[in-house]
Parts: sequence; C-alpha cells; structure tokens
Amino acid sequence: MSIFRLLQATCSKPPSRLYSSSNFVPSCGLSCGRFYHSYEHDRPPPFSPTEDRILSAALSHVPTHGFTTTALTQGARAAGYLDISTNLFPAGPFSIVNYHLVTQRLALAKDVTPARHDPIKIPTNINKLILRRLHANKAIIHRWQEALALLATPTRLPTSLRELALLSDEILFLAGSTDVTSVWYTNRAGLAVIYASAELFMTTDTSENFVETEEFLARRLEEGEKIKSFVGGVGTWAGIQAGGFVDGMRSKGVRI
Amino acid sequence: MNSAKALRSLYKSSPYSQTPLCDFLLPSFTQVTSRRDYASITTSSESPKTEPAPEALKSETTAKRRRPLTKEQQQFLDSALRVNQAGELAAVLIYRHQTPPITRSHPHLRPLMHHMYSQEAGHFSTFNALLAKHRIRPTAMYPVWTAAASTLGWVTGLMGREAAMACTEAVETEIGGHYNGQVRVLLSWLKEMEEKGEEVGEELRELVDTLKRIRDEELEHLDEAVGEGAKEARPYELLNRAIRSGCKGAIWISERV
Ligand SMILES: [Fe+2]
Ligand SMILES: [Fe+2]
Repeated sequence: MSIFRLLQATCSKPPSRLYSSSNFVPSCGLSCGRFYHSYEHDRPPPFSPTEDRILSAALSHVPTHGFTTTALTQGARAAGYLDISTNLFPAGPFSIVNYHLVTQRLALAKDVTPARHDPIKIPTNINKLILRRLHANKAIIHRWQEALALLATPTRLPTSLRELALLSDEILFLAGSTDVTSVWYTNRAGLAVIYASAELFMTTDTSENFVETEEFLARRLEEGEKIKSFVGGVGTWAGIQAGGFVDGMRSKGVRI
Repeated sequence: MNSAKALRSLYKSSPYSQTPLCDFLLPSFTQVTSRRDYASITTSSESPKTEPAPEALKSETTAKRRRPLTKEQQQFLDSALRVNQAGELAAVLIYRHQTPPITRSHPHLRPLMHHMYSQEAGHFSTFNALLAKHRIRPTAMYPVWTAAASTLGWVTGLMGREAAMACTEAVETEIGGHYNGQVRVLLSWLKEMEEKGEEVGEELRELVDTLKRIRDEELEHLDEAVGEGAKEARPYELLNRAIRSGCKGAIWISERV
C-alpha cells in the first residue's frame, strides 16, 4: 500500500523546478506521440524556430565544449543571437541534451517507414532500429556521459524517463509490433532498459565502428527474448489457474 | 487563493502531469484532464433514431482532415478506444465460458451463442487493430478484466440459461449505452466541424460508422437475450444490478488506467 502511495505521489507531483521553464520541452508536450495518433495531419514541430537555431548550433559545439553553458552561449552566438538569449533556456545545458534526444527520436520516426506487422521479423527490426538510434550518438559519444549525468539529476529524471518511454514506444511501433495486451507494458519497459544499458555501454566502447556495442546489444536482446518467454510462461500459468482451469477440467470431461 | 488557482492551471498544462513511470507501472488516477468532462456523457440511452445526422457523414470525398484534433478530442478518443477494447475482451471471454454449459443443456441455443460469440470476436479484433494503429496503450487492468470476465461467464453459465441471458442483457445494456454515448459525442464534433466549414476527414467518419455498427450489434444481443428469457432469471434484480454496476466500475477504471 505504501508503495502504491509513493508511486501515486511520484505520478501526480509535478517536479516544481521544471515547469517554470517550458522552453526546452517540446512545445506540443504530451500530444507528441501520446494519446490518439492521427494520420491526417502533421504533428506540430517540437521547438520554435529560435530554439531550433540556437540549440542545433549549440549541439555542434558539444564535441569541443561538452554539454555545458559554454556550448549553449557559443551556439547562441553562432546562430546570431546575443549571449543573453541563453536566458531562453533556464534548464541550461540540459536543454541541449533534451534537444538531441527529441530531434533524434523524431528523425527516426521520419526516416523509417513503419514495418508491416510480422512477428518473426520484429526482433531483427528492433535490433536495427536501436543500432540506428545509437549511431546517431556517434558524433558526441565522447561527451555522452556528461549528458547521462544531467539526465539522471533528480529534477530532470521525469523528463528523461518520459523521453526514454517515448523512444521505446517509437521503436516498437516502427518495428511493426501491434501487441495490445498486457505485454504492451512489459515490451516497452524491457526495451527501455535494454536501450539505456546499450547506450551506456557505447560510451566506453573503443572498438572499430562500435562492434562491441553491437554485440552487447544483440546479447541483451537475446536475454530479453528469453525473459519474455519466461514471463509469458508465467502469464500462461496464471491464466491456467484462472480461466483456463475451467477449460482444462472440461477437457478432462468434468461437466462444468 | 489566486496563486493556488494559477498553480493548478499550470499543472493542468504541464506535460509532467503524467510521467512514463505512470505509463508503465501505474497509470495515474489523478490525471487532471478535461476527459472527465466527457466521462459523464459517454453513456446515453437515447434512441439511435434521434441522433443527429450531419451531412459530413455521407460525404463521398476521401479527403484528409487538415486541422489537427484538439488535445481534448485526442484524449477522448484515446480513453474511449481503450475502454472499448477492454469491454470487447470481456465480452469474448464471457461468451466463451458460458457457451459449453449452456449449449449442453439447451442445444437449440448453440447457433445464437455462436453468432454472438463470433460478433464479439470481430469487435475485439476491430478495437485491437484500432489501438495498434492509433498507438493507444491498452488498459493496465488487462489481466484483472481477463480473470473477472472469465469468472462471470463461467458462473452465469453454470447458473443456467436465464442467468446467462440476464448477464448478456445487463452487460449489453451498459455497453450499448456506452457506445451510444460515444457515437453522440463524435456526431457532435462532426456537426461542429461542418458548421465551421472544416473537413471532417476519413478517419473520424470511418470511426463513427464502426461504432454505430457495433452499437447496433450489441443492442441486437440485448434483444435476443431478453427474448431468450433473461427476465425470468432468479434473482433477476440482484443479478442485473450487480453486473451493471460491475460494468460501470470497470468502464470508469479503464478510462483512467
Ligand atoms: Fe461487442
Ligand atoms: Fe455484445
């Protein structure tokens, strides 16, 4: 019960420092990839043109300056704005991290055509999609641990997790997964964990073209499949205990 | 006082009112959304004959809607389709578990039970496809509804023909009213769009048609159940009231989690 309360509190309490600064958050908020997804219109762009110019310029300064205020100021200057315009981003360097995450997720959605539903191909599709997304971190990988530290700050954690959840959802959608049973939840949670660990692994990977990350990812996905069939097994078992019990008895000739 | 009000409105517009933690682990009961304003009108017992028939429904064009749906409309569709899927899951399970005992003692009911079951299976797969297509999460209570519906079907099946039919009657009354309410909400949107001269779009038009068709099928089930002696069930009042309030509770919860 107390865990329930705690979860409830986490869910309903908005992180107070965050929402005074909506600038680094996609302007469309929840409607990006949340709620009923319509195919009849384009989604609103997540950043205003000004934010877009400054943050993308800042991002190009990240390889040299890291995810720092310096990169943000340099970005503003490069985009032709005064230094003071970094006031637009009260979240500071975190806005660059968020910009990278959001734009890369949307790029994935834009560049990849959703696969047709084919259960056999889903694991391979997922593998390819995660790799594709990881490769988008290449240019800044030597700075990515700084980003991870920012993402793990308690005040930023809700945003970080939310973005991770949206990425999982995007990858599963693009991979052609149409499962809408309770597996929907376990799939997304499992994928989020695998992606996050592969991303972290990649920051320490010095191999040619990140082949070790590739192997690491393949192993994690394989384990995930095993766990899934185990969990599926437990689910089936529980099912037999509940409704399936009746069917089982019926098949044995018991007239119930 | 004013600051509290401001804070609340800020919270309402804050994208953080729902974190992914809640999406995965515990979808929040406390979501502050305008969806609640709709909740009270998603049930309607009005006759389908009296519902408005906007011209846009009959439009032959296959044009796309150019204006995005409002956030409230998206939220409404999101929770409506989620509840519908949960309801059809329950219906499929109820009929599946009722069928063996009922058809054993009343072989003449076999075609009727089979007919209703296969229609429910059709509804269920329709909503499964809609959820996947529009990227809507299923209800977090999925396993709970599975167990509850199987039990309900099994128990009423064992109680005999009248109880099984009373169960169908009670469930279909609630579900039928629920679909009826949704159809009315969508029709009112269509009318509004039409008045503003907006293109309604294929997606919504198709959805209204689907919901209407399914609603009519549910109401048919209701009539058939009454025809097969639902009202003769003992204790009818108790069964009817218990099942109907169960349905109402399940709908309320599924709209939220
Ligand atoms: Fe149905
Ligand atoms: Fe039905």
